[in-house]
Amino acid sequence: MQSLENLQKVLIIGSGPTEIGHETELDSATVQILTGFKKHGVRTLVIDNNPFSVALEEIQPTNMYIQAVTTANVRHILEKDQPDALLATLGGLQGIRIAQELLENGDLGRYGVRLLGMPATTLRQINNPAALNATLKDIHEPVIEAQVVQTADEALGLVEAIGFPLIVKPVAPRVDTNRTICENVDEMLTALNQGFQQSRFDQCTLERSVVGYKEIEMVALRDVADTEILIGGLEDVDPIGIHSGDSIAVTPPQTLTDREYQDLRDATFRMASELGIVGVLHVNFALNPANQHFYVTKVAPYFTRGVTLAARTVGYPISLVTGALLLGQRLVDVKLPSAFTKQTAIMEPTNDHVSVRIPLWPFQEVPDADQHLNTVMKAVGSTIGIGRSVEEAMLKSVRSSQFSPRDVLPSVSQLTDGEMISQLIHPLANRILVLIEALRRGYSPEELSELTKIDPFYFVKLQHLLTIEREIMDNPRDVDTLRRARYYGFGDGMIARIWQTDTATIRQLSAQAQIQPTYKMIEPTAGEFPEDLSGYYSTFEYENESQPLGDRTALVLGRGGNQLGPNSAAEYFTTEMLKQLKRAGYHTILMNTNPNAIGVAPEFSDKQYVDPIQLGDVLNVIHVEHPDIVIVPGNRHYLTRELKKLPLNLHVLPPDQETGEPAPKEATIGVSLFVHRQQKIAVGVMDMIAPGMNKALSQVTAFRMPAELPKAKRVNLVELAKQAVSERQVTGMVQVLFAPKGDTKQLEVVGVRPTRLTEMAFLSKVTGINWVRMLTRQHIGTLDDAELAKISVDINSTRVALMNAAFPFRQLHVLNRPGSTDQEVGATIAFGSSEALTLTNLSDTAELDQIINRTI
Amino acid sequence: MPKVVVDAMAMQRALTRITYEIIERNKGVDDLVILGIKTRGVYLAQRIASRLQQLENVTVPVGALDVTPYRDDIDHDSQAAEPEVSAADIDFSVAGKKVILVDDVLYTGRTIRAAMSAIMALGRPKSINLAVLVDRGHRELPIRADFVGKNIPSSQREKIKVSVTEIDDRDAVEIIKASANQAN
Amino acid sequence: MAKRYLILEDGSAYPGEGFGAGATTSGEVIFNLNLLGYQETITDQIYHNQIIVFAQPAIGNVGINHDSYESILPTAKGMVVRDLTNISTNRLSKLSLDEFLRQHNIPGISGIDTRHLIRKLRTAGPIKGSIVDVADAHAFDQLNATVLTNRQVDQVATPKPYPNPDTGKNVVVIDFGLKHGILRQLSERRCNVTVLPWTASAQDVLNLDPDGVLLSTGPGSPLDLGAGVLDMIREVQAEIPLFAIGLGHELFALANGAELTALPVEYHGSSHPIRRIITNDVIYATQGQGYAVTAKSIDRDRLITTYVDLINGTVQGLRHRDFPAFSVQFFADGAPGPHESRDLFDEFMEAMTSREG
Repeated sequence: MQSLENLQKVLIIGSGPTEIGHETELDSATVQILTGFKKHGVRTLVIDNNPFSVALEEIQPTNMYIQAVTTANVRHILEKDQPDALLATLGGLQGIRIAQELLENGDLGRYGVRLLGMPATTLRQINNPAALNATLKDIHEPVIEAQVVQTADEALGLVEAIGFPLIVKPVAPRVDTNRTICENVDEMLTALNQGFQQSRFDQCTLERSVVGYKEIEMVALRDVADTEILIGGLEDVDPIGIHSGDSIAVTPPQTLTDREYQDLRDATFRMASELGIVGVLHVNFALNPANQHFYVTKVAPYFTRGVTLAARTVGYPISLVTGALLLGQRLVDVKLPSAFTKQTAIMEPTNDHVSVRIPLWPFQEVPDADQHLNTVMKAVGSTIGIGRSVEEAMLKSVRSSQFSPRDVLPSVSQLTDGEMISQLIHPLANRILVLIEALRRGYSPEELSELTKIDPFYFVKLQHLLTIEREIMDNPRDVDTLRRARYYGFGDGMIARIWQTDTATIRQLSAQAQIQPTYKMIEPTAGEFPEDLSGYYSTFEYENESQPLGDRTALVLGRGGNQLGPNSAAEYFTTEMLKQLKRAGYHTILMNTNPNAIGVAPEFSDKQYVDPIQLGDVLNVIHVEHPDIVIVPGNRHYLTRELKKLPLNLHVLPPDQETGEPAPKEATIGVSLFVHRQQKIAVGVMDMIAPGMNKALSQVTAFRMPAELPKAKRVNLVELAKQAVSERQVTGMVQVLFAPKGDTKQLEVVGVRPTRLTEMAFLSKVTGINWVRMLTRQHIGTLDDAELAKISVDINSTRVALMNAAFPFRQLHVLNRPGSTDQEVGATIAFGSSEALTLTNLSDTAELDQIINRTI
Repeated sequence: MPKVVVDAMAMQRALTRITYEIIERNKGVDDLVILGIKTRGVYLAQRIASRLQQLENVTVPVGALDVTPYRDDIDHDSQAAEPEVSAADIDFSVAGKKVILVDDVLYTGRTIRAAMSAIMALGRPKSINLAVLVDRGHRELPIRADFVGKNIPSSQREKIKVSVTEIDDRDAVEIIKASANQAN
Repeated sequence: MAKRYLILEDGSAYPGEGFGAGATTSGEVIFNLNLLGYQETITDQIYHNQIIVFAQPAIGNVGINHDSYESILPTAKGMVVRDLTNISTNRLSKLSLDEFLRQHNIPGISGIDTRHLIRKLRTAGPIKGSIVDVADAHAFDQLNATVLTNRQVDQVATPKPYPNPDTGKNVVVIDFGLKHGILRQLSERRCNVTVLPWTASAQDVLNLDPDGVLLSTGPGSPLDLGAGVLDMIREVQAEIPLFAIGLGHELFALANGAELTALPVEYHGSSHPIRRIITNDVIYATQGQGYAVTAKSIDRDRLITTYVDLINGTVQGLRHRDFPAFSVQFFADGAPGPHESRDLFDEFMEAMTSREG
């Protein structure tokens, strides 16, 4: 057994900016693992340059390296700080790649750094299909034979043996790339051409395609003593051919026999043992529905969205446990917080609910991307629905994924039959709506299964929902119908729309007939033990398990799944707000459907409801909890309007960005002020940088602070900004925008707006004052004037900070270009001297990238 | 190509069964001592002892017998020459004890004979039982094992390779067909 | 589907929708926590006279398929589920769960708050229930008057010997309500099996000159089976390798001087870690038990404890000190449930081989 007694200092490779492929789940896991390490007396260093990282808020500045997450920078820390061990499994594929490079070039050996989570031999095999397949063949796991090729000619020689469709994959890719399915020689040559460029070894693999097979994912944990447990399985509703991240996913798997499930469990365990994993292992399988044969298609011994989803939906504290396992503890010895029944860590989770995840795609913001769902992942977020039937979970998830303010599902009835069939075969982002529409038009589950390779089971379930919808149409205001509709997950808004009435009427009818939600705990023992966990979902049954949290409660409505735009910055905001509410003595209740949210961890919220953030569902929670404060995000206008009609202590946070004041076309300087009553605190003067030629305000996606201006000029702008604010009735975190007047260099005020979430995070990281918390305190009335008066920010600091937004263009395979604020997927931040961060050409995105990702 | 005839699970199981059979045969673990023949026999002896510890909560003494290597071969028991066995690593008395002698492969029986002489030289045990992971036949002396993990009838041209995780990074028993260039 | 009720001895009534057979039945209400494997569960004879509440809410999803039968004629008294999918278009079969239950006259009821029921049952102790059309006083009277048989093994075990031929080791299986998973595991190992009724004497067994004997799983309390079977076990274990599972394990313990305790609540699930003592590692297996061997009662000169449940501390495995005879409480055939204990069948095979010398 590996002895980790001497482990005193660990370096965690952070995940960098969120992007397609990883969201806030890595940050969330990092927070938990940090906490665990701290408890065990291990000093933890983190390198990350994600300005929206919550983990970075949780550690001492001396342990924090806000630097580009690159091999060179990590090596520098190894050299300088001499950590005992390196943890790469929280850094996504980039973290793994860096660890691989440090291993290959001998740095790990040179600095005597141990690798946590897996042995070096395993690290080498990640993303190296040839090596991994050899190992898997050794232990008789069925793998799809991959042939390595170095030239197109070699590939052409293999085509006959493999047959089309076949899959091309770069060996050891430099980027988080994917497999390409090729139907013919031309497609293969194109894919090879791209693949050779992406490969670190100028190689690609060719393999048989298993398109159309079921895709099943398994998540397991293993400790140093070889104890293994299965956390859960995920069934991708969409077959192989659609990236598992773009697929609707169901936990636990619904269409497998026990034997199939156990065979995959066995295979997962064999791999975990053979690869010597300590901690998480996430494996993807392709299961041939015709003969039950399966292939291993992906082996990921690191944190992924799938790991988070499996654990969240079963209620298993995977990050906490993994943290202990990484330090060499055995599963049998892991102690969990008292809310868990003793030994929950080593009980294999079992479920009495169903969860459905539906991805969210960025096609509205990036309309020129190919919107077809295929083997290249495009989703930027996801949302889950939990229920006590597949129908209920599915419908809740659909309702959360459609962003309908009034909780009404969009219709795709305008599609012609031809368009519909085409979309069944070549699915788009509205996949689920098209499946429902096809059933509505009379296609049978068998026919649709044939077309889509989706198990007929799911069509039977969707058809059942349509039957209920028909009943709702046919029985207006019928109480039994209402009961049935709510039981199967129909939202009040949906029912109201069909019955041509309003939500209030539906709620009144429900109350009269005593059709009330019952909340069930999300816990991993399926009712066997009296767990005392904090996650709940609603259903309409006999027993309600959720008791009001008590006095002084704050209900925070989350923003749902991540989307382009504020994205992870919104998650940062929500989490910091929750922390502040807690500090102010509130019991916090979070309603959210984002499985990757950070705030759902018990450190940040005392109770969580995983239910659609729609009026009816929100009112249901309010009915149970009677919160003292309700906080609704600024982008939910209808919800806010409706909630304002009720006697609630309602706050809009994060603030609504739409103030009604027309936004200026351009701005070059932004002055941020924190305005509280008569006080106006200068927070910073920043350059507003719109990389590229177009200087529109919507393209200001990079910021430098302090702005490159003479000191006196900055002071002068602050004064002008204060004046501008005084003229308007604004409060909170305010940004005054400046632009040159006409053709002169003279700056004038062109607008005032609430500070954007991204910039609020930036300002917090740069000034060392958490402005999200200040804003929260202002709202809940705990801001102390005297304390505020003492705050002074050096707007002329010599330490310069730069933040640059990240965009998903490369992953979406669209032309790289300057992005706009609503296309942001994440951001990077850098600190340095003004010389180090000087930009010679503000339009040059490459220069920006280079500076922000520089080697320290 | 080596062929795996006992995989890790089967090896674990064989040791488990041998452990139970030792308990059955000896009516418990009183007066038991275990002597492993170097190199792999010692690890197997330790595993049997740790199993006894788990089951009976009794620490059974484990000692090592050193076989003087006479050639650089995969298994030391494959030559008619008499190997030399020394009992230098035994820090307890064997007099009056029930000795379980443990080796990985039983072949000609010559190593076992030498081992028994070495044990006798230390003192007079009450009994000596032999436990082997693999019995591959071809005995040249009237010796048989009391506890056998697996009988692997083999040709003399083949080699039996035993790997243990302690030094070989994995548990396995393999048969290696002796081909012209493999034979040494 | 018709509105029906699950009623319990304590006077509670749960309305739901009937499926399967329309029969009115009574039985002991127990719950099963397994994630999958409803077909294996409902066909396992250990559930004779029992009404099974399924924790997993979505049941019926994969219909009924050929290789998931644990008996040919299931005798459970009912299924209680949250949500039934009456699907018969599954890739593995054309028979739906609903049709299957009709064929075997077993009623089911769906739309029940099964989580509530399990939370209640986990502390309630043994409780009888009925699936009925009307939950009136008459129904409750009937339920309260129902006396459940304690002759479960007689009801489900074979009265006559039958073979399951193959060319390998000769194994006698004593049938107490055998689940087919056991036969499948022996088949996979090419065993030439003879299944004998549980009333077989030691002589009956030994006359067949078997290489080993396996005591099967079965329903009910081993204390109801009388002393004859314990004599048989004592005689047979001294002669040939013996492997016992479930009810067989409980009998093996009794035959060797140990005592049994009735569990406050029956446990049916596969999430408990089970420590394999000899190697100090952890495995998972499907467990289904109403009784457990009393740890204190084990005569350490006769039996060694080999497996223990780390959650409730129950003895999960025993081995005889003097003979190659061993037993496990959990279902080593893994049908349904985890497979890691199937290895015990290999242990049994090797015990038979080892004995030959």
